[in-house]
Amino acid sequence: MYFKGINSYGDRGLVLDFGNETSKSISQEVNETFLNISNLNLQPLNIIPSFNKIVVIFENSKIRDQNKDKISMKMKDTNSQTNKKVTKTWEIPACYNEDFALDIKIIQKLHQITKEEVINLHSSVRYYTYYIGFMPGFPYLGDVPSQLITSRLATPRVKIPARSIGIAKNHTCIYPKVSPGGWNIIGQIPFDIFDLQSSYPSLFLPGDEVKFYSVSLSEFEKIRKYNFSLNELIKEYSS
Amino acid sequence: MNSIIITRAGTHSTIQDFGRFQYQHLGVSPSGAMDQRIITELQKIIPNHQNQFLEFAYVGPSIKVKEGSVKICVGGNCNMSIQKNNNSQLECQPYKSINLFEGDELIIHNTIDSVYGYIAFEHGLGLEPCLNSYSTDTKAGIGSINRPLNDEDIFHISKDVGSWDLISIPKPDLEKVTNFKVYPGPQLQYFSDNTLQSFISSVFTITNQSDRMGIRLKGESLISSQSHDILSEGILPGSIQVPSDGQPIVLMRDIPCTGGYPKIAILNEVDISRISQLPPETKITFDLQTIY
Repeated sequence: MYFKGINSYGDRGLVLDFGNETSKSISQEVNETFLNISNLNLQPLNIIPSFNKIVVIFENSKIRDQNKDKISMKMKDTNSQTNKKVTKTWEIPACYNEDFALDIKIIQKLHQITKEEVINLHSSVRYYTYYIGFMPGFPYLGDVPSQLITSRLATPRVKIPARSIGIAKNHTCIYPKVSPGGWNIIGQIPFDIFDLQSSYPSLFLPGDEVKFYSVSLSEFEKIRKYNFSLNELIKEYSS
Repeated sequence: MNSIIITRAGTHSTIQDFGRFQYQHLGVSPSGAMDQRIITELQKIIPNHQNQFLEFAYVGPSIKVKEGSVKICVGGNCNMSIQKNNNSQLECQPYKSINLFEGDELIIHNTIDSVYGYIAFEHGLGLEPCLNSYSTDTKAGIGSINRPLNDEDIFHISKDVGSWDLISIPKPDLEKVTNFKVYPGPQLQYFSDNTLQSFISSVFTITNQSDRMGIRLKGESLISSQSHDILSEGILPGSIQVPSDGQPIVLMRDIPCTGGYPKIAILNEVDISRISQLPPETKITFDLQTIY
């Protein structure tokens, strides 16, 4: 148990504190707690997990105060902490072709490794989805092998292409759509990961495991043409 | 069929409602009307508004009835007039329902000593919700209309107006507040007692680098005794975050879902609406509440 306590956040919010460190096991506890709180049916406006905090916001302070005790009780009830695993395991095609790998040379140079080594290392790990944030559907994945750890670009790029794969510090990510950003771009995936037409719009959810596998440009283009729906992607690329 | 055309969009006109909830853990901002007090008032005059309010800032839009007729009501503090289809001009007031007929044009000139104004339409604007809300987040490209309104945008309202009776309410008391009671933020302890003293005793000025995402303030520099770079965590509208230049930013409705700056304090819900109405150069002060 990393859980430290619950604090108020303004007149309507709460912060569940899991300390100041970050690790996969802390995140697993955060994401399990997220599901437990969601299942309490307290009707909060939003529950926002991150590396070691969960922020919950209610409609007004009265409802917040009533529910604070219910969440405290739930956190003490250790028997119920074993939530059924509902997360997915993904195998995601990634094209590391030079047209997409805008910053791969920065990583090669920093760590004195070849392009192939970057690709092999990046696609060798089963990443954990810490949380979704920054922009709709943007997954914070980690941790990357130590030979790939690279700080953000000194000057953020104004326009990162949609579906780009990035590395910053010990995390890797996918940009759901065109955006400014400072991650080192090393490749691209062939489909969209956020669909506004769906009531479950994000392909990835906190706690999901994600592994990339390298595909050629022609394979990438073939998959791109399929124009998979979110449901088809789940069938095709997750288990 | 009734339809209206936007003859002049204004600079920051978007569709908004009370907010988009249940999606912030997927990176989707709550958005919603900047001043929720006004759309709450407008509900009394146009109960059948379908949650499709038009929000404008500074320069208002002009709207012409292309076909049929509509019933609307404007909220906020603004100058406006109606250009009738026979070329006569009509005066009109906020918080009084307005009946517009084919060829009539409502011209909202500007907001007065405030920032945001709203229009409610009987039966809405014929829009479909996006992720259970009509609100627009222009930065994320999410909404029934995922961008600010443009000149020539056309809305079709299939239902006809039920009753042409004129309805009005007394002008709501939305007095201007410049002193804000704030609650301690999650990183209050990142700031020394001296810095907290400056925070509550000095005057901050609202800058023109303010929008639906945040209001940037200028004033005494609030330098953290620990760090201005925290591990990203969930953030709520009304939070006052302090980046490394020490100049606080009040996060507003189109909030980034998570953030990595320490938050010294947070406004309560009604004060988010109040502060949204303060134009650049307004001087404000904070009063830190310890009991909450």
